[in-house]
Amino acid sequence: MEQLNTISDLSALSNEKKETGETVQYIVVRLGEEQYGIDIRYIDNIVRMQRMTRIPKVPAYLKGVINLRGEVLPVMSIRLKMGLENDEYQRATRIIILKLEQEGNVGIIVDEVKEVVTLGEDQIEKMTYDSKDGKANFINAVGKHNNELISLLDLSSITLEENV
Amino acid sequence: MDVSQYLEIFLDETKEHLQNLNTQILELEADPENMNTINEIFRAAHSLKGMAGTMGYKRMQNLTHDMENVFSEVRNGNIKVQPEMIDVLFRCLDALDEYTNSIQESADEGTNDNEPLIKQLNNILKKVSGEEVQEAAQPAAVSNEPEGSNEKWHDIALDDSQIRVIMEAEKQGKNVYGINVVVQETCILKAARAFLVFKAVEELGEIIISNPSAQDVEDEKFDKDFTLIIISDYSLDEVIKAAGNVSEISNVTGAPLELEKTKNYRPIEVKEETAKPATEAANTAAPAKEDKSVKAAPAKAEKKQTPGKPVVNRTVRVDIEKLDVLMNLVSELIIAKNSLVSATDQEQAGNSGINEHIEYLESVTTSLHESVMKVRMVPIESVVNKFPRMIRDLSKKLDKKMELYMSGEETELDRTVVDEIGDPLMHLLRNSADHGLESAEVRAQRGKPAVGSIFLDAYQDGNNVVIEVRDDGNGIDTEAVKNKAIERGVITPEQAAGMADKDIINLLFLPSFSTAKQVTDVSGRGVGLDVVRSKIESLSGEVEVKSKLGVGSTWTIRLPLTLAIIQTLMVVVGGEKYAISLGSIQTIEDIAPNEIKLVQNKEVIHLRGTVIPLIRLSELLDVESARTEEENLIVVIVKKGDKLAGLVVDDMIGQQEIVIKSLGKYIKQCKFISGATILGDGEVALILDANALL
Repeated sequence: MEQLNTISDLSALSNEKKETGETVQYIVVRLGEEQYGIDIRYIDNIVRMQRMTRIPKVPAYLKGVINLRGEVLPVMSIRLKMGLENDEYQRATRIIILKLEQEGNVGIIVDEVKEVVTLGEDQIEKMTYDSKDGKANFINAVGKHNNELISLLDLSSITLEENV
Repeated sequence: MDVSQYLEIFLDETKEHLQNLNTQILELEADPENMNTINEIFRAAHSLKGMAGTMGYKRMQNLTHDMENVFSEVRNGNIKVQPEMIDVLFRCLDALDEYTNSIQESADEGTNDNEPLIKQLNNILKKVSGEEVQEAAQPAAVSNEPEGSNEKWHDIALDDSQIRVIMEAEKQGKNVYGINVVVQETCILKAARAFLVFKAVEELGEIIISNPSAQDVEDEKFDKDFTLIIISDYSLDEVIKAAGNVSEISNVTGAPLELEKTKNYRPIEVKEETAKPATEAANTAAPAKEDKSVKAAPAKAEKKQTPGKPVVNRTVRVDIEKLDVLMNLVSELIIAKNSLVSATDQEQAGNSGINEHIEYLESVTTSLHESVMKVRMVPIESVVNKFPRMIRDLSKKLDKKMELYMSGEETELDRTVVDEIGDPLMHLLRNSADHGLESAEVRAQRGKPAVGSIFLDAYQDGNNVVIEVRDDGNGIDTEAVKNKAIERGVITPEQAAGMADKDIINLLFLPSFSTAKQVTDVSGRGVGLDVVRSKIESLSGEVEVKSKLGVGSTWTIRLPLTLAIIQTLMVVVGGEKYAISLGSIQTIEDIAPNEIKLVQNKEVIHLRGTVIPLIRLSELLDVESARTEEENLIVVIVKKGDKLAGLVVDDMIGQQEIVIKSLGKYIKQCKFISGATILGDGEVALILDANALL
């Protein structure tokens, strides 16, 4: 039921006008005060925050594992991965389940899921790589939508494992 | 006949027969005069041939056919069993094995005719009885001389539509023949032979009618011959030859059909419009047959569309009794569920019998699990059966006399484990044969019997299955290993000096380590033992070696009975729940804090004469222990081989059966967590791998 609620929330949000040409749908999430976009094609599911089991001796950003319909799924904090403050779990906190080809499914924790936007090619500006800025490494483009900027997350670098 | 549906059975049985042949020929080699063995071999070869023929695998059939001829001569006492003959036969078995593998992968036997082997087989035959054998090799002697008035096809009663079809065909200038096929009297699978004749003839023309009917022929309801009337564009000789090429057909006769001579012939006017197309008429005449060839066609086409793909799923043959037990348990489970449902209804009315029912449900599910596990269990026989043959070949190759003694082949293991265990065992056996056993001279010097012994023993030990590979050879030369390790830079001489023999032997399991002075065909590439160990560890097992220089070595493999569901002890550490496999737990102790001693600054306890190191799980897992310093400790004593350790936990929940879930590829840093499980309330608990802690 939890999942159904959130998914119907989501579809309610997605009454966006379709743009012509190459368009990609992004789910806009909030982390702190900033907005980030996640390519909807990589999203398997969005679930509410739930009881998590800690795993010892793993990097701090790996928050633990959850039970998602009988499967054990690792959950990571992109806040910690990006060097932000630790997550504070609130009512709006969600786990976004990403489907990755190599590693299987992984959950990431976001402060809030806001809406679904459709961005055309002309609304996306590729980022130039800046090695000094650690945070920028996780973003590969910026999308413009209703006079707001959305940082588009580079999922491969976020989910890339740090070899400790 | 659509044979694709029988492919799995065919493969299963072929493998069984091949294994049987391997075993029996080995026995024959040891005891050439044993009539029982020879008969058994003959039977196996014969069934194999029949099966291959029925399935339409001609090359396989030819080879088995010639093998069978040799066996038949042996059985009749015309040939004495020679070592060279045994070698040829083994090579034949290898070739058959190849065919089988090819069929398994692509439903096609491949294109290797194995001419040299067939030639060798025929040479064996020729040696004995010259020309006579030549004939035996081709028993499908073809003769197209009609034998007197043996024109049985004229006895067939044709109905109007058939007569019409025949007349129509004659009108179109096609040939109509009557064919009589006589099957050899010794032929066991008459129906299969007949089917092949039907198939061969159908390729050249159309069968109008057969006597007995196609269905009866298929059901083997005929004596030793059957008669066909066919319409064909080919010449009579070609048709007779096609039919005669099927093995175990002793005679094929034929002649053009003279319609006037047939039994209830009466002239029918052939009207153009009423004449049914030939195929349609044939359909009604022999519906069974036609049906089958139609079915066979798409099946063939399908096979060709997917070349290279394995066509067969892995199967487990299950004892019917095991399934019966399973079925009973499932029905009990349903009853238990129903009583639970009704108990909940009564609960509302204030009656509480629910605990009783839950206990019942629990006992049923436990038994259900046990029997499902049993269904998955197969005896290791299927794997170890190929080893006697391997040792025989090795014995020849290495020029060492050796004998393999096996016991406990009936020990059962999970199918997944059985499939994987073959290679490691083979490595260990080869090791024993090559490195372990000494050459004949050395054995003589040491006063050992000339024939070296290798033992393969399997037995169940609690929740584990133990497989031991033992030899009475040289044992492991720890000095040689030590020197090699130093030479390779694996250890320093100083380290080596302080190492116990046992630790030195363990060096053998390191990658790229081989003490064989020469790299041989058999072993010594240094890829053996580390592969053995990693494979066995991937099966959650362990391998140990005990060795005494000059006396022999014993390799012990310990494997869990099953992989998916295990019995565990649930413990609490710092508020978190962890599962420890019951298989590795020896005892649980209550230890007072003052019993803890320090040895080399490490905490140990002294328990019934053994010093056991303590591992405080709260420290290992980075959590705060919920217990105070003064409280007694709960210590779970775990063992791996003969190593012990005491795990300090906060609390115990109890024994629980858990289903192992993978943590996924994403989390791999954590060595001592072997997986996770989902508890009854949906919470995820981690499984502690006690083996990794030791």
